[in-house]
Amino acid sequence: MTALAILRRDLKRYLRNPVRTALLFAMPLVMAAIFAVVFGGGGIDEISITVLFWDEDDSLLSKLVGGAANDQEAGRQLDVVPVGEEGLAMMDRGEASALVHIPVGFTDDFLVGRKTTIEVIKNPSERFLPQVVEEGAGIGGSVLSAASRVFRPELVQIHGLMGTEGFPSDLAVSGLSTGINSRLGDLQEIIFPPVITLETVTTPTDAGKEEDKDVEDIGILAFFLPGLAVMGTLFLAQSATRDILRDREDGLLRHLLTAPVSPGDYLLGKCLSVVMVTSVGFALMTVVGAAMGVSWGPPLAASVLILATGLAASGTMLLIMSLVGSERQGDTLSTIVIIVWSMLGGAFMPLSQMPGFLRPLSASTLVFWSTDAFNTLVLDGGGLADILTNLGILFAVGFVFLGIGAFALGRRIRKGAI
Amino acid sequence: MIQIERLRKCYNELVAVDDISFDVRDGEIFGLLGPNGAGKTTTISMICGILQPDSGRVIVDESNIWVEPKKVKRHLGVVPQEIAVYEDLTARDNLSFWGSLYGLSGSELNHRIDETLSRVGLAERAGDKVKTFSGGMKRRLNLCMGLLHQPKFLLLDEPTVGIDPQARLNILDVIREVAAAGTTVLYTTHYMDEAEQLCDRIAIIDHGRILALGTLAELTRRAGEAEVLRLTGPFDDESLRERLAAIPGARILGFGDGSAVLAIESDGPGLLEILPRVLDADLGIEDVSIQRPNLQNVFIALTGRELRD
Repeated sequence: MTALAILRRDLKRYLRNPVRTALLFAMPLVMAAIFAVVFGGGGIDEISITVLFWDEDDSLLSKLVGGAANDQEAGRQLDVVPVGEEGLAMMDRGEASALVHIPVGFTDDFLVGRKTTIEVIKNPSERFLPQVVEEGAGIGGSVLSAASRVFRPELVQIHGLMGTEGFPSDLAVSGLSTGINSRLGDLQEIIFPPVITLETVTTPTDAGKEEDKDVEDIGILAFFLPGLAVMGTLFLAQSATRDILRDREDGLLRHLLTAPVSPGDYLLGKCLSVVMVTSVGFALMTVVGAAMGVSWGPPLAASVLILATGLAASGTMLLIMSLVGSERQGDTLSTIVIIVWSMLGGAFMPLSQMPGFLRPLSASTLVFWSTDAFNTLVLDGGGLADILTNLGILFAVGFVFLGIGAFALGRRIRKGAI
Repeated sequence: MIQIERLRKCYNELVAVDDISFDVRDGEIFGLLGPNGAGKTTTISMICGILQPDSGRVIVDESNIWVEPKKVKRHLGVVPQEIAVYEDLTARDNLSFWGSLYGLSGSELNHRIDETLSRVGLAERAGDKVKTFSGGMKRRLNLCMGLLHQPKFLLLDEPTVGIDPQARLNILDVIREVAAAGTTVLYTTHYMDEAEQLCDRIAIIDHGRILALGTLAELTRRAGEAEVLRLTGPFDDESLRERLAAIPGARILGFGDGSAVLAIESDGPGLLEILPRVLDADLGIEDVSIQRPNLQNVFIALTGRELRD
């Protein structure tokens, strides 16, 4: 009853201060919106890498290299732009992720087995995309080098034919063809059947194959948004629980406790109010995500998870605010906790990218349990039954921290420390 | 009745309240008078159950507040020294919230809010946000929050600090009305005139100890039953103090900073004979004032210093 009275009072305060309330929700929403705009709602297929292709050799082989980059598969990510020397100036202006340069004599050198080079100039202002081009060019170079060694006699023969006037004789062409076929026949015994084959399997879900297709189409935003939303929830809880410190410093808390209100009643009321704020904030972030094509999974499961995350975030922040001595201390400590938990819990990067020794620490953060559960719903197409453990841990964290906070706050007030 | 039994509270080495005992009788206005830092707020915090004493106990209507806090708190109305109101809410919102903590709701709550705001002259500002109020209005609203649930015991911790005389008079009038209606009042202050005008009994507290307790008449009797002479001069000089003490018919109550306070004994020669002797004693007196015995003089008699703040 008392807790509900405190919740009603806080609701009134939010309604009577629309600007303050709007600012409260602004930060996580702006963060979500920026991510949504940067990564968009589509899949990784929508990332396009602009590569300048400067072919000074202008030969059959160099055209094959350029064409390989434009085939149906690679062409979905690569936008290959043929250029001349002006490509260097375009790179200076940062107009592409990389420039691939095929030098004069590339084909001749390749055919006679001389050492030659494919030059890749990377855009220094980008990190990830030029790396993709460099890796691709490296693989292409390895394939050509292997071909150069395996087909050495035939390539020398081809080079000789290219130097002759007019069309080569039927005899020369048939001899070349026989040689290549014979070489491929020998290679078949080595290459086929392949010792290792790669098979990609997506774990089937109860909902059937239709959902499997959806999972394949999930975009980058879906990978980052849950973690981001959990971090945003923590920041919202931090802002909303700051009231406790103001209540303390203004004497409102001491006055409140002269009424038939215990520290536990007070914190429970504040917790309800903070859970309400975080739930609304999270719901707004899900709307932003949904607008950009992110599916949050079954609504019931997502709603319970939002509630559990809000409760855990509220309990954590209320505990911190109950223990610290001033608003500044509270701000500093809670911000450190949010950032560290977000990094450890996988809000900034996938856990698989973390150093091994840090991974066990992830499980000690509510960010991990919440993000993991959202990933189960968003990425794996899971349902309520699949996240029960996460929900249990989040609810437990919320209630236990709330209890410890109430005990600590009551004790400090009784001792005169507040 | 509120019974305070041997209350003691220390903050590390500092003894804030040192083994104090007193009773606040039903229906009376009991004053706790002392300078800042005397232990008044610590005492009232222990009485209203937010600060745990190191020893001693508080019994309110035969219930120990630390054993049955919620039961006791329902009968207490507390007006703290800080203005403890939500400035971003209206006066009505603040009172509505406060009333709900005591189980008030609906038409009864609305009626009480209207009645209490009218009593302190804030009815017309009920719908305004508190941040638009003056300091005196906020103080009056603070008082409303203590009165709203019509408590049996009203505890006020320096409720008139920092406000204009008109608002102060209004608050004192309301307290008198409430007490006249049967509410028991415990009032802390460092203003002697408030204690003199308002309180049925007064406890003088300093350095955490009760120095004297009684009605105004009982206390002022300590400063003599006749007039009191307040002299301004170089009384830091020990020889002057001795010469002053040698004048018959006058009893030294105490020395302040460059001042001395003498009680004219009622069975002695009287003011008209003693005053010329004082002036002729070549004590370097710069100013003389004649007063009725008051709490200021009692405080000087008890502590040897003025009750300034």
